[in-house]
Amino acid sequence: MVSVQASRSIPKATDAQKLELLSKVKCFIFDCDGVIWLGDKVIDGVPETLDMLRSMGKKCFFVTNNSTKSRAGYMSKFRSLGLNVSAEEIYSSSYAAAAYLESINFKKKVYVIGEVGIQEELDMKGIRHLGGPGDADKRVTLKSGEFMEHDPEVGAVVVGFDRNINYYKIQYATLCIRENPGCMFIATNRDAVTHLTDAQEWAGNGSMVGAIVGSTKREPTVVGKPSGFMLENISASLGLKPDQICMVGDRLDTDIMFGKNGGLTTSLVLSGVTTEEVLNHPDNKVIPDFVLPALPDLLTVKEKAMVAA
Amino acid sequence: MRKATDEDKLKCFQQYEAFIFDLDGTLWKGSALLPGAKEFVELLRSYNKKVFFVTNNATKSRAMNAAKLTKMGITAATNEVYTSSFAAAAYLRTISFAKKAYVVGEDGLVEELTAAGIPCVGGPEHRGVEVDWTQAEPHIEVDPEVGAVVVGLDRNINYFKLQYATQALINNDSCMFVACNTDARGHFSQAQEWAGAGTMVAAIIGSSEREPMLLGKPASFILDHLCTTHQVARDKCLVVGDRLDTDILWGIQNGAGTCLVLSGVTSEAQLLAQDNKVHPRLYMDSVADFLTVKNQLPSSCTIM
Repeated sequence: MVSVQASRSIPKATDAQKLELLSKVKCFIFDCDGVIWLGDKVIDGVPETLDMLRSMGKKCFFVTNNSTKSRAGYMSKFRSLGLNVSAEEIYSSSYAAAAYLESINFKKKVYVIGEVGIQEELDMKGIRHLGGPGDADKRVTLKSGEFMEHDPEVGAVVVGFDRNINYYKIQYATLCIRENPGCMFIATNRDAVTHLTDAQEWAGNGSMVGAIVGSTKREPTVVGKPSGFMLENISASLGLKPDQICMVGDRLDTDIMFGKNGGLTTSLVLSGVTTEEVLNHPDNKVIPDFVLPALPDLLTVKEKAMVAA
Repeated sequence: MRKATDEDKLKCFQQYEAFIFDLDGTLWKGSALLPGAKEFVELLRSYNKKVFFVTNNATKSRAMNAAKLTKMGITAATNEVYTSSFAAAAYLRTISFAKKAYVVGEDGLVEELTAAGIPCVGGPEHRGVEVDWTQAEPHIEVDPEVGAVVVGLDRNINYFKLQYATQALINNDSCMFVACNTDARGHFSQAQEWAGAGTMVAAIIGSSEREPMLLGKPASFILDHLCTTHQVARDKCLVVGDRLDTDILWGIQNGAGTCLVLSGVTSEAQLLAQDNKVHPRLYMDSVADFLTVKNQLPSSCTIM
């Protein structure tokens, strides 16, 4: 059989395939942008789809690499968009950082570069922390003999997106990582840009993390996408096999790749950044298990699925 | 490897015409001269050796550094001083750069760029400027004439500057990304090390996903410029510095001799560690150690 490099056409899921997906998968992990909402608008049909999945007993998780809010903080965004979710269904990278520290039985203090989300999640896990928004107005003067003190009990620096990044925080984090024995360097994510507003792309946590890599020459442990921690944490807490979990996303190189690396079932939706053209282009090597025009497309098999459930 | 012997030091005097000193951690720490620094430079000058001062610190101009050295007791002419800020400006001049530079850096960098005839946006003028998140559609405007983002140590780094630099680079492939230096840390005060320009450069690499062109040590630009301007062959130059990844690597990669001093950021343990692959020709505790052979040198003739 000759392998052909010509363009291929990966078909969108048939009804039979949708039923197969709904029967096999017990838990759905959704990327948010381009899957659940577009900017500030929920995609039509998403709320009914989520209701259907829940009534079938499926677990749902909503994953975001944004660390500025805690899960509870994001809940208000979901609610304001008309989505019925609980805080425990939201998996933000702020939560991932706290969950990671809990998973390794961390008992020391954390120095936080980031906004309130990380601190709120650390509080919920009973982990002591310093820094964060409190250090936004700190300045360094560098007079002769200037010496910055740092807390020797800091055992981890967590770096998340921080619109108040400054030299004081960079130096404090650098001192902790370099001088406190065994101090960990944890990053919520390394996205180069983030979509804070529609007007333009915004420098993302890749720059805050970059700064600390630059001064310490150490690489961080990343807890958000595309690292596996999030997925391992979810599947361990549910006791499911990886392929019983489906990653639903709109990006091949992060969401789908992320799912495949974790052994999950993967579904690409075409309602976000990826087009059919990009999917079928010969240069694309990332092939999802299922392709849907948008998440609510699952509603076409609602009756049959509900009967089978 | 073992510390330099008297014989090693005498050989240096014989072999090298030009001694190129790093500043932070080699000749001074913060605002205090290291012991022996003044005496050794005077000794070299009395033997008609050429003396240069090369720092990766972009925050002060060449003139500011020359003035600081002279005030501390080491006479230095502006053209004997090289800073990574001067290097960035000199490089842009050699390519006839005719646009504006967005500066993530301090006064010294703006001073050198301005002296080279390059209009600057940002720098200390953007100190304390914040993104206005209360606007209806928050965004920042980038001057369309910015043709290069030039980055050096910036102790007033903030999100506004990171965003400006990122926008300038991601929206325009032809906008250059120039790094004065990428040092991770430096002794900006005697008491401890402080996060260096490597921080600001890596932050912008993290958001723009572009790689910068490096002008300071260990890139070759400064040594090329020095050798051409002052007519000295690079194998007759001895680089004296405290950092393996800038000073010593710079000398090795560019055909100059290298002498590591342990008075700055590098310890003997780090030098001798298994995983260190950067080996200077010789090493000693500090520049003062060169003075042990002072009385073994011929009386006043130039040694060649």
